Amino acid sequence: MISFNKEQVYIVTGASSGIGEGTALLLNELGATVVGIARNEERLNAMKAKCKYPENMHIEMKDLTQDIENLPQHVKELKNKYGKFSGLACCAGVTAVQPLKLLNINDVQNLFNIDYFAPLMLAKAFSDKRNNIGEGASAVFISSLAANACNRGMAAYSGAKAALIASIRSVAKEFALQKIRFNCVSPSDIKTPMQDWIKDIVGDERASWSYPMGLGEVSDVANVVVFLLSDAAKWITAQNYVVDCGVM
Amino acid sequence: MKKDEFLVALEDILQTEDSIDVNQNLDEMEEWDSLSKMAVMAYYKKNFEIAITLNDLKDIKTPVDLIKLAGEKIDD
Repeated sequence: MISFNKEQVYIVTGASSGIGEGTALLLNELGATVVGIARNEERLNAMKAKCKYPENMHIEMKDLTQDIENLPQHVKELKNKYGKFSGLACCAGVTAVQPLKLLNINDVQNLFNIDYFAPLMLAKAFSDKRNNIGEGASAVFISSLAANACNRGMAAYSGAKAALIASIRSVAKEFALQKIRFNCVSPSDIKTPMQDWIKDIVGDERASWSYPMGLGEVSDVANVVVFLLSDAAKWITAQNYVVDCGVM
Repeated sequence: MKKDEFLVALEDILQTEDSIDVNQNLDEMEEWDSLSKMAVMAYYKKNFEIAITLNDLKDIKTPVDLIKLAGEKIDD
């Protein structure tokens, strides 16, 4: 059984919704201290209201796409406030269905800001040995099955998520000697608010996809993320775990 | 670039929690590893347009030696 103690502090981005929320709540339930980051205070508070140990759930409002260059400074300030971090779960992200003929560079750059550049700078911030506990520290990044599936209209999103997997693999090798682990988790369609929005857009086409085990649930992904953050996964790094009930 | 400014940059490259003295023996710091050396090389290329090699770094003992490598780019 995986468990944590409250001296283990985990940053979870995108903590107000979907996989980030599920991960924050699960870590908290298993005993860890969580610093949940998201843009919306109201939704962060709603998440906190659901958690098991409110005294170990801290929330921080932050738009990760603002001033990406200075994310390491932001994480340093969080470290001064909460102590050195045992782990990072990078769950903030957006998706977009954009056929190539509608694609413009601004939209692509905005997508890369949250889906690639911010996670990479958070990896940089977390890997700084002044900000983490050293051996045993672990970071998990939510990528997407889109990195492999590369369906129509997903040029930008698939590109950002594939780039993230490649970069995190390199980062993992950079820090393997220090026994600090970096992994990705790539879910397919999961029942989250973000996915509802996609369903509205792609409608029947996506609905016709075959999920032999049904659509994934947040907990299906959060369980993998929390496993990878825990010491049970101490020999696992530089991997990308696909969580898709085998559709790929 | 001022020497003090460079020392702060070096602290970030080495990610050390203590401040660095110019006469410190770098070989005694666990942070002075191959990745830090690569980072110093990248830093010199980007900030000073100086291409240094691992060979150049072989004989480096202290930050003073590193500063010498930068020539006029770092002043007192």
